[in-house]
Amino acid sequence: MAEFDRREFLKLTGLSTGAVAAAGCGDPVSKLIPYVVQPEEITPGIAVTYASTCRECPAACGLHVRTREGRPVKLEGNPNHPVNRGALCSRGQAAIGRTYHPDRPRYAGPRKRVADGWEPITWDEGIALLAEKVREAGSGTYVLGGDPGPTASALIDNWVSAVGAGGRVVYEPFAAESLRSATKAVFGEPGVPVFDLSAADLVIDFGSDVLETGNSPTEHARQLADARNIDKHKQGGAHFVYVGPRLSMTASNADEWLPAKPGSEGLLALAIARVAAAHGAGSADDRAALKSLLDSADVEQAASASGIDKNTIERLGRAVARAKSVAALPPGPGLTSRRATATAGAVLVLNYLGGAAGRTLRIAPVSSAATANYHDALTLIEAMKNGKVRVLLVHDANPVHSLAPDTGFAKHLESVFTVSFASIPDETSERADLILPDHTPLESWGDAEPRKGIRSILQPTIRPLYDTRALGDTLLDAGRAVGASGLPSGSFRSVLEAAWSGGDWREDLALGGRFEGNTADSIALASSAARLEVAEPLIEGDGAYTLLAYPSPYFYDGRGANLSILQELPDPATKIAYQSWAEVSLTTAAKLGVEDPGQVIALETGAGQRLEVPVWPRGGIRDDVIAVPIGQGHDVGYFASAGDSGDSGKVRGVNAISLLPGAATDENGGRAWLTVKVKASATGDFRALPIGQTNDNKRGRQLGEAVSLSALGGAASTGHASAGQPHVSAGGHGDEHGASGGGHGEVHEIRQPYDPADQADEGQPYRWGMSVDLDRCTGCSACVAACYVENNIPVVGENNFRSSRTMSWIRIERYIGDGERDLRFGRGHIESRERLGNVDVRHSPMMCQQCGAAPCEPVCPVIATYHNDEGLNAMVYNRCIGTRYCSNNCPYKVRRFNWYDYQTPTSRSFKAWPEPMRLGLNPDVTVRGQGVMEKCTFCVQRIQDARQGAKDEGRPIRDGEARTACQQSCPTRAIEFGNLRDPQSAVAKSHAANHGEHGEPGPRAYHALHVLNTRPAVTYLSKVKRGATEA
Amino acid sequence: MPPPPTAVATMMESTPAEPDSKVNRDILHVMEDTTFGWLALLLVAIGTVTGAGAIWFYQVYKGLGIAGYTHPIFWGAYIVTFVFWVGIAHAGTLISAILYLFRAKWRNAINRSAEAMTVFAVLTAGQFLGIHVGRIWKSYFILPYPNQRGLWVNFKSPLLWDTFAISTYGTISFLFLFVGMIPDIAIARDRATGWRKLLYTVLAMGWQGTSRQWKSHNRTVLHLSGLATPLVLSVHSVVSWDFAMAIVPGWHATIFAPYFVAGAIFSGFAMVLTVMIPVRRIYKLESYITNYHFENMTRFILLTSLIVGYAYGVEYFIAWYSAVEPERTSFWYRAFGPYWISTWIMIICNGVVPQIFWFKKFRTHIPTIFVVSVLINIGMWFERYVIIITGLSTEYNTSVWGVYTPAPAELIIMAGSFGFFSMFFLLFIKVFPVIAIAEVKELEIHAKAHGGSH
Repeated sequence: MAEFDRREFLKLTGLSTGAVAAAGCGDPVSKLIPYVVQPEEITPGIAVTYASTCRECPAACGLHVRTREGRPVKLEGNPNHPVNRGALCSRGQAAIGRTYHPDRPRYAGPRKRVADGWEPITWDEGIALLAEKVREAGSGTYVLGGDPGPTASALIDNWVSAVGAGGRVVYEPFAAESLRSATKAVFGEPGVPVFDLSAADLVIDFGSDVLETGNSPTEHARQLADARNIDKHKQGGAHFVYVGPRLSMTASNADEWLPAKPGSEGLLALAIARVAAAHGAGSADDRAALKSLLDSADVEQAASASGIDKNTIERLGRAVARAKSVAALPPGPGLTSRRATATAGAVLVLNYLGGAAGRTLRIAPVSSAATANYHDALTLIEAMKNGKVRVLLVHDANPVHSLAPDTGFAKHLESVFTVSFASIPDETSERADLILPDHTPLESWGDAEPRKGIRSILQPTIRPLYDTRALGDTLLDAGRAVGASGLPSGSFRSVLEAAWSGGDWREDLALGGRFEGNTADSIALASSAARLEVAEPLIEGDGAYTLLAYPSPYFYDGRGANLSILQELPDPATKIAYQSWAEVSLTTAAKLGVEDPGQVIALETGAGQRLEVPVWPRGGIRDDVIAVPIGQGHDVGYFASAGDSGDSGKVRGVNAISLLPGAATDENGGRAWLTVKVKASATGDFRALPIGQTNDNKRGRQLGEAVSLSALGGAASTGHASAGQPHVSAGGHGDEHGASGGGHGEVHEIRQPYDPADQADEGQPYRWGMSVDLDRCTGCSACVAACYVENNIPVVGENNFRSSRTMSWIRIERYIGDGERDLRFGRGHIESRERLGNVDVRHSPMMCQQCGAAPCEPVCPVIATYHNDEGLNAMVYNRCIGTRYCSNNCPYKVRRFNWYDYQTPTSRSFKAWPEPMRLGLNPDVTVRGQGVMEKCTFCVQRIQDARQGAKDEGRPIRDGEARTACQQSCPTRAIEFGNLRDPQSAVAKSHAANHGEHGEPGPRAYHALHVLNTRPAVTYLSKVKRGATEA
Repeated sequence: MPPPPTAVATMMESTPAEPDSKVNRDILHVMEDTTFGWLALLLVAIGTVTGAGAIWFYQVYKGLGIAGYTHPIFWGAYIVTFVFWVGIAHAGTLISAILYLFRAKWRNAINRSAEAMTVFAVLTAGQFLGIHVGRIWKSYFILPYPNQRGLWVNFKSPLLWDTFAISTYGTISFLFLFVGMIPDIAIARDRATGWRKLLYTVLAMGWQGTSRQWKSHNRTVLHLSGLATPLVLSVHSVVSWDFAMAIVPGWHATIFAPYFVAGAIFSGFAMVLTVMIPVRRIYKLESYITNYHFENMTRFILLTSLIVGYAYGVEYFIAWYSAVEPERTSFWYRAFGPYWISTWIMIICNGVVPQIFWFKKFRTHIPTIFVVSVLINIGMWFERYVIIITGLSTEYNTSVWGVYTPAPAELIIMAGSFGFFSMFFLLFIKVFPVIAIAEVKELEIHAKAHGGSH
């Protein structure tokens, strides 16, 4: 070794210490690692889309899963799919959160229960354990679960018989048992009625809440909007009547709301049918066949039972007689009583008399998939009680939450060896003894068959994030380990491929399934129809109020409660999020002494349960009803249970199901929900509700406008609505009183000549614009959920929601009526104009209006928000210092501020994306940091994406190439987006057709708060007030 | 004019040039005797500043969410307190500059403390710009500095005007205070020992009291007064434009500039009184700050109270007369909505209570003046609160109306701002003469020359 003197030593020591110290400072260096072997289909930066199927509800909408670098980042509707035609509801949008759910790491692989908790095991051990237990139990083995799709369902049936298990129970909390039995009774064949509302000219919803929790909400919303398309049907299109005790979202879209007493729907339907028949509805033969049934109906009796005016019933009867095809929708889960079969039957009879057969109503034969019946579940619990069940396999269901406690399911589960296939922990899986986690739907192969003729396929769009296995594979392996014979060979995927044989597999995958369309089955009345016994329902108990437990539009039976976005979406009817509430009428609230929202009442039923729920007093509910949404009340789950940190064990909201008697069934064993009276009393407690909107009075301002059909008819006849003509802004004052109804009272408004396309650089081929048709908007909030996913909008948690710190870039404002100008100061700070029977509700999506003369722009001291040359209000996050002046000056109040850092895993506040949720973020959109302002960008990343393709081909962006996330998701196509400089674009046509000849707002078009002259790029089209049916 | 203070007459026997004159002793003793009370007050002040500082660090670390902000009320107690302190800062320049130009001699006893208050109030107000913004670590973006990215600031934004207005005002106020203090510092220098000697020697900048120096000094003060006079009007006008330039109902009003300036002078005088009355009593300066001063000050307060009260009335009248529904609604909710308490505190404290100064008895009754001045300070804080918060609460889009309540963090930081201000003031009175000795002496000479009467 060479000389190594002291100096040299010190030099080296100093240098290396310095180097080490320097390396320790600053941000750690992360490297971008390129693919060594590039996967064939993946180009970094380019999205790849796969077709799949949504499993959030039985409707089974088709999906296009947009993936980036192998990770799904956004779910969109499959335009080829006959159910949803490219749209996707809020539940579907939020479903991407399942794959990246923060609770999944807990079920990252199989585990078994040991004395003090859980012990991870290998799959081999797990399957061996399952096989051993099944072998021991033999016919004491049962399978309980929801509908996993026809192929998996058939495989389970096969497995049950192959291993000699005791049986299989298909369990869906909201299975339409009564509807099936009613179909059998009225039309003689077992099946589910399939409604096509687009062909109807009179739609009567007897409380099915068709637009929220009906059996295919997205599809029906589209059909209803088409049937009511004001551009095609100058007389207003299909008339929509809602019958039900509360002003639900669906009711708020109706032309008429009959707040009938819950349970009286059957009597009402039959009375209407009788009047209709008397006015010549249906054929003479049908009337004769139904004579005894119709004669049993009595208008007076129906009127007194339902609380609906006799004249109204007769008027509706005549309307049914006049209508070419009626669609009358039988009551949904919340209104399913013990006499639900007869009730649904009466509604089907009304359909038949109204000419629905073959037009608006078809019967889908019961598909091969096993159908759920509540009676089977009760039988299983009985067997559990008697010790006949030794091993229970639970998949695709959370019965501990969705079965009433007095069924004893949870109690008896303790004595049974329970195997759960849940991929995300829930109340049932947490009680299991063995967890064999399934993939999430986005990781799975599978299929769905919402009805005959529509077969939809699921394909994996991401490699399973955790060590999970498909339910089918687990069962196959376990079956083989048991030594069962008769099981198919190969994996579940090969079973699926075999089930789909006979077609082009690759084409099926590309298309998303095989769609044969509706087969027009002829429907004939069965003789049993006349034997329906329609009566008032049995509602037991001695309370003063009827308890209406209705499915939440977002959580459905509770399965949506663990999705962060759904927790944060304000309910479309009450605008409450994160909590449960009890809707009571203002009179009831006064009587109970709970007039302030959030005062707590105790609800008690004969089922022995007592719940304490904060009240939401509203004008839109009957005095004799207390309504509580189903879906909350979970004590397991990061987002489902309470505590912003996701503490399990703390219940969020209440589980309304626990108030109901578990044993209640309808005549055919279906589950009855509308069964009990409830006693209510004030507790004196107060629990503030997280409310998203405190005021539904627009005070006559230009927000959520509506125009009456008669006013519109006059305007349309003068030729204003000449579609296709680009309007020319040639100056000239549109100094007119707005025709758009309301909001123009005493003040004479001067309207400026207006051409939004001016608000971009001259010579620019683009000025991006939007039109929002309030007549089509139902308030479903699919757009809001889509925006959350597309734009990486953080959820902020319950506490921040309470401080109105939601970050959503688009919200649905809900106004009632034209509003009052008088200055009355309401109770607290909540002002509502709801009242019974009044349906003048306007759902108005509010997003950044991308104003031409934007008030936000001049006030920013650092030019963090500015006008770009295509007319967009651009927002430079990096430049923003957070003075928040822009938001103060925004009259629409669409700007959002990052009060905390929600984004990082080390976030010091609520974590919007706890691991591994960050994997699902959209890489095209910046995730905003603490202290900056943000807002809607018109999905500028999608515009840029479209521009890339157009640039490559040397052409301008075509209309429809750039579609915003909200537009894309909208089930009713209420939102049009495109280039206003292109007179042929859909949005320019929509603007032109609805503006006056000088470009000023026309008969239906208006700009939100146009008096401020902000020159928005968003044109709203007023809702059309169609009024009640004619006498 | 009322007769000049008799106290001045009693001082006639002392010789102005004498370094150890009675005036010198009377005023400079404030700097020399460190009392327990002073120390306790300083500790309290430093304590609140430390507490507020800790909360502020926590806010930067955690996020502005710890404040009470709610959609759509994005400006809250921080901006309210900012405007409050900018308002306080007004009396100093008014007293120093405008009254100087008008040769209102009575200002001499109070101008030093008013000027010091101005500087400290601007300093305090300036803190809130930083506390309020979302990204303090990027707040230098608001300065138009040359940079390679070609980024520039937005000269259309009232916030930028505000930045310039406040910094200009702060600079001029500081210069005014400092230049005016030079002769007094020289007096202090001549008496001081130890570190004070060094400090005053440096700060006195070689002042000898020669007539040439006096001539230059007087000219400088005159010119600074000329420069500062428009600032009195402009600073709070610009601050008012932060609101008036916005389209928020209740903010967007042409009356805002004069309304805010009057309000600022109103609150500034009130703060001068609130601060001077205890100082006068503790340091026995009764012979320098006399009823004569209090009467003039309270007259000013009465005048500005009438202007402010008139502005309140005009706001309501215009809201009604404009027939603009959002404007009317906003004002209705202001008076009868969730913030009604604040609004009525504002009206009573600023519009009603000062009317007792119509009576001479109250204009010279020190306890009354003190109580009223405190009430005015409270009322003026609430005035800004009412304007800013109610305006934002009931805006155009009715579906997102909200109610704001200040969070504990905001209240602590607000309390800290009073501590911050007091800390500077307490230190100031220990280090610099709290009354302008030279000017008082000048007055004395005048009084002598005119035989005890003007």
